[in-house]
Amino acid sequence: MIQLFHVYKTYARDVEALVDINLHIQKGEFVFIAGPSGAGKTTLLRLIFRDELPTSGQILVNGRNVVKLPDRAIPHLRRSIGVIFQDFKLLRDRTIFDNLALVYRVLGIPSATGKRKVANLLKLVGLSHKVQMTPYRLSGGEQQRVAIARALMNDPLLLLADEPTGDLDADLSMDVMRLLGDINARGTTVVVATHDLDVVRELGRRTIVLKAGRLVEEHP
Amino acid sequence: MERLRYILQDALVNIRRSGWGGLASIGTIAVSFVILGIFLIITRNLGAVVAEWKEQFQVTVFLEDGITAEQLALVKKRIQSERAVRAMTYTSKEEALQSFKRELKGKESLLEGLGENPIPASLQLRVHEAYQTPEALRQFAAFLTRLEGVEDVLYGQEWVDRVASAVRVLRLLGLSVGLALGMASLLIVSNTIRLAVYARAEEIEIMRLVGATKTHIRAPFLLEGMIQGGLGAGLALLLLFGAYRATLWQLQLTPGQIFGVGVGSFLDPRWATAMLLAGASVGAFGSLISVGRFLRA
Repeated sequence: MIQLFHVYKTYARDVEALVDINLHIQKGEFVFIAGPSGAGKTTLLRLIFRDELPTSGQILVNGRNVVKLPDRAIPHLRRSIGVIFQDFKLLRDRTIFDNLALVYRVLGIPSATGKRKVANLLKLVGLSHKVQMTPYRLSGGEQQRVAIARALMNDPLLLLADEPTGDLDADLSMDVMRLLGDINARGTTVVVATHDLDVVRELGRRTIVLKAGRLVEEHP
Repeated sequence: MERLRYILQDALVNIRRSGWGGLASIGTIAVSFVILGIFLIITRNLGAVVAEWKEQFQVTVFLEDGITAEQLALVKKRIQSERAVRAMTYTSKEEALQSFKRELKGKESLLEGLGENPIPASLQLRVHEAYQTPEALRQFAAFLTRLEGVEDVLYGQEWVDRVASAVRVLRLLGLSVGLALGMASLLIVSNTIRLAVYARAEEIEIMRLVGATKTHIRAPFLLEGMIQGGLGAGLALLLLFGAYRATLWQLQLTPGQIFGVGVGSFLDPRWATAMLLAGASVGAFGSLISVGRFLRA
C-alpha cells in the first residue's frame, strides 16, 4: 500500500525533517508512527498524500509514484486517502453536517447519497444528535470524532491520522483508538502518528519509531 | 452535473456574502459601461449623420444658358464615363424654377419681377464614397469646369470631412476612457473576489486536501466575477436606455428625427450584447487574477 525508498526531506537552512526513510506498509495494516514532537511524523504523513514533495527518494502509494505525480493527478490521489488532521481543520462557522457535506460536494456525489453517508458516519462516531451544531459547541473529543467522520466520507483505502488523541484524556484516547481499529477491521489501511507511547504500548500494533527525522526502531 | 449544481450554489453563496464589496464591483462596472455607452451612442449617431451626408452628397454642375442640345449630350456623356460618378440626374431650367417656386411657397410674388427664368439648368451628380476626399473632389471639379457648356461647379465637402474626423476623435476618446475605466473595474472586481477568496481560505484549503481539482475550486469564484460583471453591464444598459428615452422626451423628438436624417437610435442590439459579454469577461478576468495567485496543488 505504501512504500518509501530512501526518502529525505530537508527544509530551508538545512533543517533535516526526514533522513533516509525506508518503509513498507501492507494493504489492511494498522501502523503507528511514534516519536516525540518534531520527529518528522507529520512530515511523513504529508509526503504520503502529496501535500509535500520529498527532497529525494521515491514514494509509492497504492502502486503510484506520488513523487512523479503530475499536478492534475493529485486530486485523484487524495480522493483515495482519508486524512485526520492534527488541528481537525473543521470550518467553525458551519454545522457538522456542512463540514461533512463539503467532501461529497467536492467528490460530486449526488446530495441524496451524500446525506445518507453523512448520517451513517455520524452514527458510527456517535454524533447523530449533533448534526446541526457548529464545531465550537462541541468538546475536543467530539470534534476529533467529526474529523474522523469527515476523513471517512470518501470511503478511503488508506486513512492517515495525525495525533488523533492529541488533547484527549486516556479514556477518550482509547475510544478513538477503538474506532480506528474498527475502521481498520473493515479493510481500510490505517496509519496513526502519535507521541502517546502509552496508547501505542497498550494496543500492541506494528510501530515505527522516529527520532529527529530518523527511523530508529520498528516493532514487533 | 451534480458538481455543476454545487459550483453554482457556491457562487451564489459567495455573492450573497460579498455584500457591499459585491455592490461596489457591480456599481463600478456599471459606471464604466455607462460612460463607454454614452460615447458609443453619440459616435454611432454622429457616424450615422456623416454616413447620411456622404450618401446624399452631390456635386452640382450648372450649365450655361446658351448650351446646345449637342453640347449637353456631349457633357452628359463625358461625365457618365467618369468612374467617380455613381448617378446623374438632369434638371432643366423649367424644372429648376418649378422646384424653386415650391420652396418659396407663399412668397412666389418675389419672382414676379423677373422677366425670364434666371435659374440655370443643372446636372446633379452622386459621387462614389471613394472619390469624396477633398483632393479627389478638387480634381474632379476642375475637370468638370473645363467641359464645354459648364458654367460653374458647386460642392461642399470640407465640413463633412471635419465632422467625420470629429467623430473619429470622439470614438478614440470614448474607447480610451472606456478602456481606462474598464481597467479600474477589473481591479475592483479582482479585489472583491480576493476578499471572497480570503474569507474562504480555510474552506479552500480543506477542499484542496480532500481532493478538489483546481477547476472545481476556481469555478465558483469565476462564476461570481462573471455574474457581477454581467449585472454591472446590464445595469449600465438599463441606465443608458432610461437616459436615452428621457433625452428624446426632453427634446420632444422621436427616434429618427434628430438632424432629420434618420438617426437618433439607441445602441445596436449586437453592441448591447457585446457590452454584456465584455462585463462578464471583465468579471471573469478580475476573478482569475485573484484566485490564480492563491491556489497551489
